[in-house]
Amino acid sequence: MRRTEPPPLAAWMLEHARPGDSDEALAGDLLEGFRAGRSEAWYWRQTLAACAVSWSQSLRGRAPLLVFAVLWSMLAPAWEVFLDGVESAPNLVRIWPYFGPVWFIPALAGWLVLNSIFLWAGILVFILAHGSFLGVLRGRKLRRAFLMASLILLPAYGLTFVWGNLYWYSFLADAKLAATPLGQITDLRLLADVMRLPYFIALVCALWNAIPRSPRTPQMLLADSTPIETSTPSDAPLVPPDPYTAKRFFGFMVAAGLVNAMIAGRLLCQLPDSHTPTLSALIIRATFYVAVGAIGGVIGAFAYWKSPSSLYGEHPPIPFPLFALACASGWIWVPSMMLFWEQISAATALVATIGATLLTIGLRKATWFVFASAQQTSRSLEPEQRELFADTLYRAPQEADGFLIAICLYAAGCALFDHSNLTAGALFALSAFLFAWKRTSPRVDRFDSNYEYKRAALRFAITAIPAVLITVWALLDGVAHRNRVDAMNAVLAAGDESSSRNHAQSKNNSSANGIGGYESIILWPVPEKKEIVAPLPPQTSLLAPGTAKPLVIRFDGAYWYFQPPGKRPGPEAHMGHGTPLAIDIQSNNFVPLVMEAHQTLGSSIPVARCREIQIGILNRNNRPGTINLAVLLRDSAAPTLPALYLGQQPVVTSQPEHFAVKASPASETLRFPIPLPAKIRKFDEVTVLFLPDEESYQVGPKIAIQEFQLLPR
Amino acid sequence: MILLAVIHLGEQAYGVPISRELEVHRGRDVAVGSVYAALERLEGKGLVSSVLGDPTPERGGKAKRFFRITKEGLRQVHETRRVLTRLWQTLPQPKGGRA
Repeated sequence: MRRTEPPPLAAWMLEHARPGDSDEALAGDLLEGFRAGRSEAWYWRQTLAACAVSWSQSLRGRAPLLVFAVLWSMLAPAWEVFLDGVESAPNLVRIWPYFGPVWFIPALAGWLVLNSIFLWAGILVFILAHGSFLGVLRGRKLRRAFLMASLILLPAYGLTFVWGNLYWYSFLADAKLAATPLGQITDLRLLADVMRLPYFIALVCALWNAIPRSPRTPQMLLADSTPIETSTPSDAPLVPPDPYTAKRFFGFMVAAGLVNAMIAGRLLCQLPDSHTPTLSALIIRATFYVAVGAIGGVIGAFAYWKSPSSLYGEHPPIPFPLFALACASGWIWVPSMMLFWEQISAATALVATIGATLLTIGLRKATWFVFASAQQTSRSLEPEQRELFADTLYRAPQEADGFLIAICLYAAGCALFDHSNLTAGALFALSAFLFAWKRTSPRVDRFDSNYEYKRAALRFAITAIPAVLITVWALLDGVAHRNRVDAMNAVLAAGDESSSRNHAQSKNNSSANGIGGYESIILWPVPEKKEIVAPLPPQTSLLAPGTAKPLVIRFDGAYWYFQPPGKRPGPEAHMGHGTPLAIDIQSNNFVPLVMEAHQTLGSSIPVARCREIQIGILNRNNRPGTINLAVLLRDSAAPTLPALYLGQQPVVTSQPEHFAVKASPASETLRFPIPLPAKIRKFDEVTVLFLPDEESYQVGPKIAIQEFQLLPR
Repeated sequence: MILLAVIHLGEQAYGVPISRELEVHRGRDVAVGSVYAALERLEGKGLVSSVLGDPTPERGGKAKRFFRITKEGLRQVHETRRVLTRLWQTLPQPKGGRA
């Protein structure tokens, strides 16, 4: 007998598993079809298809929200690290005991408020970035979104915390966050992603129902409204250009001016010869450089504006002087940008951003009439350009600018982190250009050329003053930088030739500061004050024929941490005391970390008298994986001779098959036979190289050298 | 196609008959949910309008949602037919002609 009711689970899904309000008509249609003789499989198919279509529509309509939530929650790890610092502040810690046994209530409230601030800031940024939501998200809806964010965060954070603890030893035990805020933001590893999850959920839930599913873009709203009437100015073109051509034209002119200003800045803008220039001399020089930037840009744009290949020929959309005045507000920042770039300064990006913003605002205000006319022209053509099929007429509103800005900002951050300041400047400038272009609107409703001239001239005059000051800053910074370099060169020149060569090489090689913010690190063992370390016994015991007792040398050398292509710590290496067993040192960029231990013997030992070197180590490395130790013997008296390589030996207590989490260091001895014949006859330096596998090459192994035992032959 | 189905069904254009009409002409199963999604988009564009009918017992007390084409929708259909016809007429005759 056939059922008259549809499958209950499918009916429940149709009612409750779809976003938004339940669709009575759809449910009725499916029930009618089922009772008319359709199968249960048909009902299931229809239900699943209806759910899929509803979710697809809902997610597509909220794509901007989802993308924003992902981007904003990327900041969460850095925010949490910041909050950790705030929460562990001594003054704050002292407050909790006053609340007695209910201390956790104010602590939880404080934590919630601090984290909610992050979410509320995200909501505000999202609303401000989407101008069309401003009218929708007001009053009760906005308050509800703020409240929801805080209410959702607590359970989402709690669940994530529980989940993280359940799987802690499986995935997260060895996970670490990057050391710098930028590294934490760009960290895509599991721990950082787990930290982002509750913030992402809270943001999405808070804004899910607060925003309209498919917000109508301003262009769509304008299309429905009556066309705006504007008076035709005397300077305006008779035939309005289409938006694409106008944008291409202005983009090309701005780029031509920019390139010319950069060339002029590179050729003409140099640091003063004096090591201690006066302020007045710097101001005069900076004013000249600002003028160079402006004139260079104007000449570059003018050459193309008047060229026969110009898109508009004799009828440009706006007069050239107005265009030049508007763009000069941006071009005047080019010289200071070039000066900062030569110093490898991150201020390059800052100046580029300021210049791009001011240029865009000026250009947008001077050319708004051109694009307003072009927009009206394109609107009047719309009926003829519609899609062929009525079914495909609907287009979901999309604004790619926001995504492009976000991508540019991320790429610029990476470039900045990589010291590619000019690339970072270009990307920041592009972001600023797009943002300012979208957000700038004219103050008047009609084009008045005299008014626009006055506004552009005033804007140029106002921006020229900070441009001169910034250029003075660039000159001062450049002079100081040059003086430092000169001093460094003088010191290096004073040393011996080989030493200076090595130092110069290592200086060039170690420009990156990728080890916890340091260029490189030299770690000396903590001096043991009470214990008197006996001097190295005379090597005569080894030289004496028939000696069988090994020579024990306690390790008291330094550990070196540096990054390739450097071969040793650079001149700005951080010096510290400690043992590798207790210190976490890791690379916070993608460059491997090299760790070496160096022991100087004080006097030479003949290679022929040594049969083997045994190295006693303490291993507290809790990262599973293979670690090999390699040994090199050197003779400092013969630097031209190659070091004697004794091969590699694995650290057994770190090998996967013997690995165990170590609460206390494991002691181990590695043996390195000394081959004969050798290329060196004696040695007075022992170098131990730590060679972890690929998965751990960014972390300094927690292995300490205890002693060397030299066994006589 | 959906607009044509709505015109063809006239006063009886709601989910079930529209889907059936499409199935008949396309020769394959149609998801009612997709039909509703398309109709809602068309309604958003002002090409169709909808009104809820009375609940009926055979539908478990759930109302029907009837769709009607608007003047703008009708104009779009005519325009589409005109463009299609013109495109067909401008197609070149295939080499070799009819078999």
